[in-house]
Amino acid sequence: MAVVQLDRICKRYGGGGPPAVDDVDVTIGDGEFMVLLGPSGCGKSTTLRMIAGLETISSGTLSIDGRVVNEVPAKDRDIAMVFQSYALYPHMTVAENLSFGLRRRKTPAPEIERRVREVAEILGLAPYLARKPHALSGGQRQRVALGRAMVREPMVFLFDEPLSNLDAALRVNTRNELIKQHRRLGSTMIYVTHDQVEAMTMGTRICVMNGGRVAQVGAPLDVYWNPADTFVARFLGSPPMNLFAATLAEPGRVEAGGLRSRLTRWRPDALAPVVGRDVMVGVRAEDLSLDREAAGPEAGSVAGRVFAVEPLGAETLVSVELERGVECTARLSRGVQARIGEAIELFFPPTATFLFDAATTRAVPASAPLGAVH
Amino acid sequence: MAAAIARPAPSRSPLPRLFGRGGLALVIGAYTVYTLGPFLWLATMSVRTTGEISADHYAWPRPFHWEQFRVAWVDSDFATYFWNSTIVVVTAVAVVTLVGAAAAHALARYRFAGNRLVYGILFSSIIFPPQITLISLYQILVDYNLYNSLVGLTLVYISLQLPLTVYLLEGFFARIPQDLFDAAKMDGYGDLEIFRRIVLPIGMPAIATTLILNFIQLWNEFLFAVVLITDPEKRTLPIGIRAFMGDHFQDIGMIAAGVMISVVPVILAYAFFSEKLIRGMTAGAVK
Ligand SMILES: Nc1ncnc2c1ncn2[C@@H]1O[C@H](COP(=O)(O)OP(=O)(O)OP(=O)(O)O)[C@@H](O)[C@H]1O
Ligand SMILES: [Mg+2]
Repeated sequence: MAVVQLDRICKRYGGGGPPAVDDVDVTIGDGEFMVLLGPSGCGKSTTLRMIAGLETISSGTLSIDGRVVNEVPAKDRDIAMVFQSYALYPHMTVAENLSFGLRRRKTPAPEIERRVREVAEILGLAPYLARKPHALSGGQRQRVALGRAMVREPMVFLFDEPLSNLDAALRVNTRNELIKQHRRLGSTMIYVTHDQVEAMTMGTRICVMNGGRVAQVGAPLDVYWNPADTFVARFLGSPPMNLFAATLAEPGRVEAGGLRSRLTRWRPDALAPVVGRDVMVGVRAEDLSLDREAAGPEAGSVAGRVFAVEPLGAETLVSVELERGVECTARLSRGVQARIGEAIELFFPPTATFLFDAATTRAVPASAPLGAVH
Repeated sequence: MAAAIARPAPSRSPLPRLFGRGGLALVIGAYTVYTLGPFLWLATMSVRTTGEISADHYAWPRPFHWEQFRVAWVDSDFATYFWNSTIVVVTAVAVVTLVGAAAAHALARYRFAGNRLVYGILFSSIIFPPQITLISLYQILVDYNLYNSLVGLTLVYISLQLPLTVYLLEGFFARIPQDLFDAAKMDGYGDLEIFRRIVLPIGMPAIATTLILNFIQLWNEFLFAVVLITDPEKRTLPIGIRAFMGDHFQDIGMIAAGVMISVVPVILAYAFFSEKLIRGMTAGAVK
């Protein structure tokens, strides 16, 4: 049970260059499942390793339950970590791997025995306790790595992309197992991933990172419906949100090279700061459809030529090229017959429109929340 | 063999394709005879008197003069030489292994100022032949009252074998995944404990290799021992064997018996540690 507080944390590796982690300011509540999400190289692992005590903190303070731990060595922090590589001790059996941390902490032998048994039962590792890691499958190794953290019953769990080496089916299983364990243990968990499905399904909150900085923190659906900037908007969602550059000539409507949209979510005073300036209009691929009626009376539209059709089975992705080479992707129903080169017009409800200031990439705050209409 | 090449290759690896099963066995057999032959010849000589050997170099021993071993061991002080060698070599190898492994771990794992400089100096001392230090070592040992003492010889042996040991182990330890060390830290272990419980067991194949190499090399070391030891009671085995070689007369039978005695520990050391050499211990650690 612990609150982990990152207060303006920075990390600079030797050799100059921009900081790997820049001014990260996040508080992870007691019993929370926080997901650190971001593209490769954005500083997720570095942040996690600083919390673990495996990496020094260049500036800022890190506290756990109100106690500053910047200078506390990793071995004294009572934090368990699951590594992407699993990092199992190759010369020890599964049982020894599981009990290694407990033995150090002078836990009585019967207690160790009991906890190892219990965790082995939960994770289905009981038949393999006497085996060495090299004689286990990838999924079994992954569960040993998980179990090694669980037997310790630590204050905080850290996970660095623990599922990325598993196949799709095993990944879903383990994901659900982890969610279950979080409910059972009620511990604080910090989970690093670049997989947005994991982030959306596992996190009580997600923290989207970009270039070492925190782009946005919030509940998964909140971040999805109210992205703070174009980076978050495009990072969450597959395919990424379509963005159209435009100039906002008058409040209430916007038109640019094949795109027309009414801005009904914003009251005129909300739009006042961006009138006459360059903006980005955003529409998610799943909000585009061929059906004008379904999009309502004030529907926005996108017109262009089809240049790619990708049938995925459950649905079909249709990519459209607008005037001046602007591209846009729509997620349409599987029955759609679209031919490459064909002219097409797609519609979307005005309530599905996002608006960003092109200069700052920040979202223009809407007067009506978007999630409410869906 | 030409026929073997002309045939479509049954196996993908190049060696069997060149020789074929039988050819390979033939080559290995020939090599075994080539290396084992002189050894067996020496073994027969160790149970023959020098007189018998001069009469016929290659004859089968008849009768077996086992008493030559007793003469060597008791009357010719081989017990003393053996004991001296054991003390010096076991101490030196133990120190080299422990200090070498610790140094290699530090060089492989910790970033500190001068890390690569220390490594460079160690490496450069491997390049030069150790004999060039003989004169200066002699002078230093005389200055510190370590000349003609087993302690002095042990120290010299340690310094002779340490660089290569560190070099070999550093290369191996550097390949142990960093995540294992991080995991052990998260499990609550400090640096020394990690060295003892992670590095030493995982590095065992490499450590056993250096151990055998060092043991064999020092057990057979002659040059430094003969220069730095003068007392007959302090002789190690290689100089003890040399004592049977006079200027005009060489007691071949006794030399052979002495060599056979001195070879036993080497065979034992290899038999004991070779099993540890084969296994790659990091299998299953990561991925
Ligand atoms: N030991 C190091 N020395 C110098 N730079 C480093 C070191 N480790 C990481 N970096 C740099 O810090 C930045 C952040 O790295 P980090 O490993 O935290 O990214 P990440 O978000 O975990 O990426 P991924 O999803 O690929 O694991 C990267 O630009 C990386 O090059
Ligand atoms: Mg990472």
